[in-house]
Amino acid sequence: MNDRLDRLLVAVRAARMDTSRVELGFEARLLSRIRAQREETALWGAWAWRLIPAFAALVIVLGLLNLVSQPADVWPALLDDPETTLWIGGQTGE
Amino acid sequence: MDIRDPELTDEYLIRSALDGDDEAFAVLVRRHRQKVFGIAGRFARHDHELDDLAQEIFLKAYRNLGRFRQESPFEHWLSRIAVRTCYDALRKRRREGSEVPIDDLAIVAENDIEPMRAKELLDRALVRLSAEQRLVITLLELEERSVREVAALTGWSETNVKVRAFRAREALKRILEADYERPA
Repeated sequence: MNDRLDRLLVAVRAARMDTSRVELGFEARLLSRIRAQREETALWGAWAWRLIPAFAALVIVLGLLNLVSQPADVWPALLDDPETTLWIGGQTGE
Repeated sequence: MDIRDPELTDEYLIRSALDGDDEAFAVLVRRHRQKVFGIAGRFARHDHELDDLAQEIFLKAYRNLGRFRQESPFEHWLSRIAVRTCYDALRKRRREGSEVPIDDLAIVAENDIEPMRAKELLDRALVRLSAEQRLVITLLELEERSVREVAALTGWSETNVKVRAFRAREALKRILEADYERPA
């Protein structure tokens, strides 16, 4: 089988794929693909920039909503808790 | 631009391409496409696949042009990209699974096998090998590259290349033997 395999490999070595048809206009196809990808990337970039104000507005609105929905007197409730008062006392040395 | 112009060195063309000169990259492609087609042609099954592979190789080169360190010639760097891309394609193809029976191995016993027919037969046998085995057989036995070259192209150690080559050859022999001895 060694001989047979070697004969097969020698024969295949001589077989070269004819690439002339693929080589025809290859650079043009490749460059148009590169340009298309570049344009696509640029498009995504442009959209990302355009969406920045919208995202910023959304963050501000969410922040405001969060502020409005919080209970007004958190500190008195916390200070009423004896454990918290003890902890604050320990921290401040009072 | 003339690709034989001695002033248009690969380094100059790479710098120009990085500065956005597409024509410079086109010259680089024209200069090295024979090499890439030579490698990809050993792995592609038809024109369409060859075109896809070659485009993928040059696209990867284009995207990574900024990482080319010029420590070795551009051609070597491009060959490594070509081999890796072909290897990835082989692995993908193997996952898709396409096994065609070898029905005419008797002709391998003949002394003069027609090259294209031999290629067809070998391709059908190679499909049954792993992507690593196929890659190593192609580079060592068909491209007639040295163990050191294959190691540099694949990133495997020389010992690894030798072991894989031995196993690939054994596997190929087993496939051919089994099909040859199978009753028609």
